[in-house]
Amino acid sequence: MLALLPHIVNGLTLGLLFALIALGFMLIVGVMEVINLAHGSLFTLGAYLALSTIGADWFAGTGFGSWWLGLPVAARYVVALALGPLLAGAAGLLLELCLRPTYGKAPLYGLLLTFGAALVIEEVIRLVWGTGEQHLPIPAGIDGAFLLGGLIFSTYKFFAAGFSIVAILGVWLFLERTPYGAIIKAGAHDSEMVRALGYDLSKLRLLVFGFGAALAGLAGVIMAPIWGLRPHLGIDVVIPAFLIIVIGGVGSFWGAVIAAILVGLAVGVTGAYAPAWSLLSMYVLLVLVLGFRSRGLLGRKSALEN
Amino acid sequence: MFKSKISRRRLLGSAVAAGGATAFFGPWKHNRVYAASTDKPIRIGLTADASGQYANSGASDRRGMIMAIDEANAKGGVLGRKVEYFHIDTETTPATGSRVAERMITREDCGFLVGALSSGVANAIGQVAQKYGVLYMNSNSSSPTESGENCHRVKFVWDGNGANFAKAAIKNAIDSFGSKFMLLTNDYVWGHDTAAATRKLLTEYGGTVVDEILVPQGTRDFSAALLTIQQANPDVVAAAVGGDDQKAMRQQVAQLGMGSKPAWINNQQDWPDVYGLPVDNLFGVFGTTWYYRLDLPGVAEFVQRYQAAFPETAMRVPGNVFYNGYMCTRELLAAVERAGTTNNIAVIKALEGHVMPAKDRMQHFDAMIDPVTHQVQQTIYLATANTAPAEKDDLFSILTQSTPEAVKDTAAPGACKLESYEATPTFDA
Repeated sequence: MLALLPHIVNGLTLGLLFALIALGFMLIVGVMEVINLAHGSLFTLGAYLALSTIGADWFAGTGFGSWWLGLPVAARYVVALALGPLLAGAAGLLLELCLRPTYGKAPLYGLLLTFGAALVIEEVIRLVWGTGEQHLPIPAGIDGAFLLGGLIFSTYKFFAAGFSIVAILGVWLFLERTPYGAIIKAGAHDSEMVRALGYDLSKLRLLVFGFGAALAGLAGVIMAPIWGLRPHLGIDVVIPAFLIIVIGGVGSFWGAVIAAILVGLAVGVTGAYAPAWSLLSMYVLLVLVLGFRSRGLLGRKSALEN
Repeated sequence: MFKSKISRRRLLGSAVAAGGATAFFGPWKHNRVYAASTDKPIRIGLTADASGQYANSGASDRRGMIMAIDEANAKGGVLGRKVEYFHIDTETTPATGSRVAERMITREDCGFLVGALSSGVANAIGQVAQKYGVLYMNSNSSSPTESGENCHRVKFVWDGNGANFAKAAIKNAIDSFGSKFMLLTNDYVWGHDTAAATRKLLTEYGGTVVDEILVPQGTRDFSAALLTIQQANPDVVAAAVGGDDQKAMRQQVAQLGMGSKPAWINNQQDWPDVYGLPVDNLFGVFGTTWYYRLDLPGVAEFVQRYQAAFPETAMRVPGNVFYNGYMCTRELLAAVERAGTTNNIAVIKALEGHVMPAKDRMQHFDAMIDPVTHQVQQTIYLATANTAPAEKDDLFSILTQSTPEAVKDTAAPGACKLESYEATPTFDA
């Protein structure tokens, strides 16, 4: 049991990171019923934008650039943590505008468009930042490792897990405790009624998509120091995010969070005792959950079922 | 009496037309002979990954091939014929590799194929190439099976393999760090083959394997594996983890500060995988076939040629993947010149047993193409992170260089059964 404990802790932290990755994807699927295959590319874009913000590679030669690079990494990191997701969110807004002609049509149209967008974003990243591996610097305070029970754990990974908890609670509070959140939830439940009450559904969708894209970007900035940074990083993101929302139940916030933690635990514990099965374990979990409850853990009927 | 309605003139005309059509469109071999009798360009298919796990290395591989082809053309071509190349992305996927090879040979008229990073892809391409008798240069995949059980008469393997690198590293690691080894293995053909070679050598040199962790391809989180390693407390971790998996692993090991204890040996460290990473990510000892700061004649000039040919490339100096891509293409074209023909069997014979002087290959020892396994027997270097770099790109510190004989994969000749010349389709490219 003592040998298992560190793997459970590791699985929990991994699960929280998976939850952060799935958050934006869940929001867009839940509210707009669009499976955003560009989620992974927006994730990567956020991380690259943060890299350029910290490294200042495009304005290093200017006076402002010299001043900026003179600031400690921690200060630049905090700005990057805000700017990367904001710009990824802006890219999300553009993508939503492109998506509009597909509304009211078969889900396949949205799926294909976001798939195309994923390819475009990935190629843009390749052109702007190159194909090679990049390294996103992090402040010294959250870098390195610490000892717990005689084992070494990564400080940054625990920071990232803690940050995920804050992000999850922040999004939940936004959805549950603000009028905007109430409108978003109502829009997911009955969009025609929301329109009839005088709310602009187009703006609502724009806001949700931008917010979901910004969350993808935020996850990218947080995950890049763990997974590394390369143009095709997004591929590693979409599949777990999709699995998590299906296991949790499409449109269910806490369903997705619980599913992410279960996936993290499954991957973490399998990684210790049957590592060759670690990636497969999330699919086994999917089969088990859907075998007992076809709408996922906390899922309700979705328009995607029509 | 039966009276034919076909006149003799019409019958003769039809026969001539049918004969002409058969000569032109007929059996594939005839077509190839027709093609070769003209002065049309020699076409080389570049089977390099542009997406998937080895996308970045694939780009480097391709640049090496292109520079060799451009240099050959600048000298007037090969046998007086211009050399053309044609690239399709093999997507780091064996099924795509097969499809690409098939298309390059049957529809794009490629007489030679060059390129590979993934051993799975190389094996798939090799099978198609053998079916048509098309020479295939496996530039950069390093599974021992490529020159062992998956060898082919048409395939030549240019990279050092897992057995070569393990041989160079393991005895040294046992002497320096201890005999208790843990294997961290990518769960696919290259990882398994390399781990098998490591196990064999450990048995030979008196080491033990306390555990083996199989890491699925596509793993991004190594924390469970790293916790297991800490719990097992080995002296040495022998990692056979490649591509993007390795990049993620390196980053996470460096974050935990586990790069120096336990000791790490990585069979091979491809230059595109580490270029641009912080030096603490380059922990442990690893193998390579070439480094851009080797103190040997021709190296500096080769680097200059690379920089002149690819001024826009973010990777400012060539690495081992580029080097292998370049060398195998250059040697293929040189073999065509030596053979004096593009006939595939003649070119194969010109390559088999060919000795390449150390100065031509910018390595420490002469290299030779093994006629039994078709693998290039070459110098293997052991390197580690350079903590006192002379310039920004000076990432490696070369520790040792082993002769081809010292690191020879002795299991390969027994496992490799090359097809006979007679069983290999022949044609002129």
